Amino acid sequence: MRAFNTTVIILVTCALAEWLLPWWSIALVAFTVSVMAALRPGKAFLTGMCGVGLWWLIAALYRDIPNHHILSTRMAELFHLPGYGFYIALTVLIGALTGGMAAAAGALVNRKR
Amino acid sequence: MAYYRRSSGRDVSFRQRLRSRSWGIFLIIVTIAWVWLLNTAIGPLPPLGKILDPVSGALAAAEPENKNYTDEERFPRLKGNASIWWDDRMVPHIHAASEHDVYFLQGYVHAYFRLWQMDMQTRAAAGRISEVVGMKAFDFDRKQRRKGMLYAAENSLRAAESDSRTRAMLDAYTEGINTYISSLSYRRYPLEYKLIGFEPEPWTNLKCMLLLKYMADDLTGKTDDIPHSYLRSILSPGDLALLYPDKIEGSTPVIPSGTAFDPPSLGRPTAPPDSVAFPVYRSTDFGYRREEGKGSNNWAVSGSRTASGAAILCNDPHLGLNLPSLWFETQLQCLGMNVYGASLPGAPGVIIGFTDSVAWGLTNNYRDVKDYYEIRPVKGDESKYWFAGKQVAYTTRTERIGIKGKDDFIDTVRYTIHGPLIYDEHYNEKGSLKRPLAMCWMGHRASNEIMAIYKLNRAKGYEDFVNGILHFECPAQNMIYADRAGNIALWGQGQFVNKWKEQGEYVMSGWDSATLWRELIPMRENPHALNPAQGFLSSANQCVTDSTYPYWYNGDYGELRAWRINQALAEMPKVTVEDMFALQNDDYSVLAGTVLPVMLAHSRDVQGNRYLDTMRRWDSRLQAASMAGSIFQLWWRNLYLGIWGDDLGRVPDNLMPSTERTMQLLVTQPDLKYYDDRRTKRKETLRDIVLHSLKQTTDSLDRRAKTQGLEWYIGKNTSVTHLAKLPAFSYNKLRTGGWGNTVNAMKGDHGPSWRMVVQMGHEIEAYGVYPGGQSGNPGSPYYADYLQHWVDGKYYKLLFLPNMSSQHNDRIKYTWSIKPE
Repeated sequence: MRAFNTTVIILVTCALAEWLLPWWSIALVAFTVSVMAALRPGKAFLTGMCGVGLWWLIAALYRDIPNHHILSTRMAELFHLPGYGFYIALTVLIGALTGGMAAAAGALVNRKR
Repeated sequence: MAYYRRSSGRDVSFRQRLRSRSWGIFLIIVTIAWVWLLNTAIGPLPPLGKILDPVSGALAAAEPENKNYTDEERFPRLKGNASIWWDDRMVPHIHAASEHDVYFLQGYVHAYFRLWQMDMQTRAAAGRISEVVGMKAFDFDRKQRRKGMLYAAENSLRAAESDSRTRAMLDAYTEGINTYISSLSYRRYPLEYKLIGFEPEPWTNLKCMLLLKYMADDLTGKTDDIPHSYLRSILSPGDLALLYPDKIEGSTPVIPSGTAFDPPSLGRPTAPPDSVAFPVYRSTDFGYRREEGKGSNNWAVSGSRTASGAAILCNDPHLGLNLPSLWFETQLQCLGMNVYGASLPGAPGVIIGFTDSVAWGLTNNYRDVKDYYEIRPVKGDESKYWFAGKQVAYTTRTERIGIKGKDDFIDTVRYTIHGPLIYDEHYNEKGSLKRPLAMCWMGHRASNEIMAIYKLNRAKGYEDFVNGILHFECPAQNMIYADRAGNIALWGQGQFVNKWKEQGEYVMSGWDSATLWRELIPMRENPHALNPAQGFLSSANQCVTDSTYPYWYNGDYGELRAWRINQALAEMPKVTVEDMFALQNDDYSVLAGTVLPVMLAHSRDVQGNRYLDTMRRWDSRLQAASMAGSIFQLWWRNLYLGIWGDDLGRVPDNLMPSTERTMQLLVTQPDLKYYDDRRTKRKETLRDIVLHSLKQTTDSLDRRAKTQGLEWYIGKNTSVTHLAKLPAFSYNKLRTGGWGNTVNAMKGDHGPSWRMVVQMGHEIEAYGVYPGGQSGNPGSPYYADYLQHWVDGKYYKLLFLPNMSSQHNDRIKYTWSIKPE
């Protein structure tokens, strides 16, 4: 339950942070929330991964669906990916890894369990 | 934060916590490194994290398909209320209370849709691409500096800013662009800034001038002085005239033969003896390179020859096919102006289009306005050169070329009385003459083309048109005109020098004052025709006049398209706009129609060659799906190289005799000595080369057929390429017919960049299309939405609104209501 709540908090805070700050604020958010949540490192990694990954998935779809994949298709081609879905997946993967790593670091720094 | 206080569970020991903390710090470092990597461009890769970020990265440019553009804007710098009506093709119709406001809004709208393109094109003009992409653009940038592009733009800026009207026009336009730029945060930067990794910089009036000089260089940059000097050193005068005639026999010139020219106010200067005028070179003094030419068509049919009784004007300038497109459609309205047409993002006004009274169009004139002079340096003193028997000091310009990731490169360019010393001991380009060469270019002079645009955009009749175009000095253009009174006219307009015969045809002796450019020809004496008896006028980069024009000039002309256009217009009984669409899309090859019978006659005895059978049935039309087109073009290419390759294959810039001349020789001179391949002992005849080239063609087509289709459009590969050459943002293998030798001049990377047909009746009926879309954003539905229409040879009906502050038209989709505050 706490892991779930932490995930939601990361997601929402990332969304707020990115309104004003550059993309790397997602790492700061995942780290800080994780320090405060003090989950086990493995769990923290998952919350960071899911929180940021989901946020980037939602944000990407919010832009991509009304655009009818015009840009994601071109970007996929630019990155030599087979289709726009792969571009979105790559986005989510990179966001998730960044969030996961930052959250795990936060949990390790403040390990209580 | 009660929730986050530890509630239950086993506590970890102090030692474990310490170990975890070390791991934590390690992971922090790893995460920081990871984020840093994702935030940094590595080699050609953009910063991955920054780009993938769906909030501020690439996807920020994903524009909703059904985006509602209707908006209310407030611009404190405006003087009054204004409206921009966006029609169903996203063409902005700008209506403002004052000239200032209309150009301000045009600048704003250009930047809104095309900022990155405007930035890149003006950087390209100024030789400043390396600043943002690094060493790979260095050679390009250095050449731009050597050509004196910035020097040219600064000169013209002085001219434009010394006239209050063009000054105000430029100031307002620049203000509009900068208002848009200053509203941008990183998130709203055009995508390419993010991918390449740089930021928009403030716009200046100088950048407008740079853009115009970029066009001038594109259209007058090529000059054959160097290859001509080479040819002169290897061919006898008789052979030179036979293979490279100044004017092609049977030319149908821009200004129709028989047009009476005004008596010249200037006498023809006496030519100095050749030994004085031209240095003598050996073939080893030259390098080797090749280039591809450009072209355009325009024509007008007088009301007496059209079905409707109204004059019709057509234009299709063939320029580089790029995305974002060179052109941007717009309508501009204020008191005294109501104009629609193609504008250049980066310059105020409409370049090709129509007002509520007149229509005009442009093709490149190709009269030679760029000459090379060999400079004799003073030995032992880099700061001086010889001129008229004296040592003269160069003036110098320091060119600082910024290079991303490297120190700036400083190049000192020396200027002579003729112009910049483009090639010297510090800089020589493969293919040029290995001597110090200065360039004398009309584009370097202070001229105010913006004033021509200003006046054309307000023209009410022929006098206004002429008074406007007389400001257009370089690049020289064939300017066609039609009005609602049914008049048509055509001017070979530009600023030209009264030259002695052959002046500037070859590299000249820069140390002798007899070779200097002297008097300018009064521009009212430029060749022109108004309402000729034939009832139509046309230009397609052919020779400008017949030999009765009193001033001497030379140039780089092509005749094939002109022959076809003039023949077609002469035969059309009652011309309609549909006839004009068909003519702009005409893919009949005069070349094929003329030479193919000769080629087929020589291969009469060849049996069982399926390609040859196809040729025998072909109608000389280069249609997209035609296999015959592929066969003919390849066969012709092989034949052409078979004739000239052995004799003239080493001419700089690959300047072999023109296609037109080769075609004529093939038909009229079956025994030319050049048909012999000098590399063999045998003496070959035309028949031998035809058969040999057929064999070559058959072999290479057989090979090609194994990997791809033989349809014409596949082989020629008409492409519309993104300015950063990113294939993902480009289109290729477009299903188009035509080639450089047909009216529909769809080549590989050049073609009809804007097709326009305007019928100047009581109601103006205008049609147009260009290969791209209004938006420069690859994430916009309007990025390339016209492209398929253009490929299919179709047109859009252009919406020309009356000059009023409120509009009711079903085609208006969105409105910007604009207030000063």
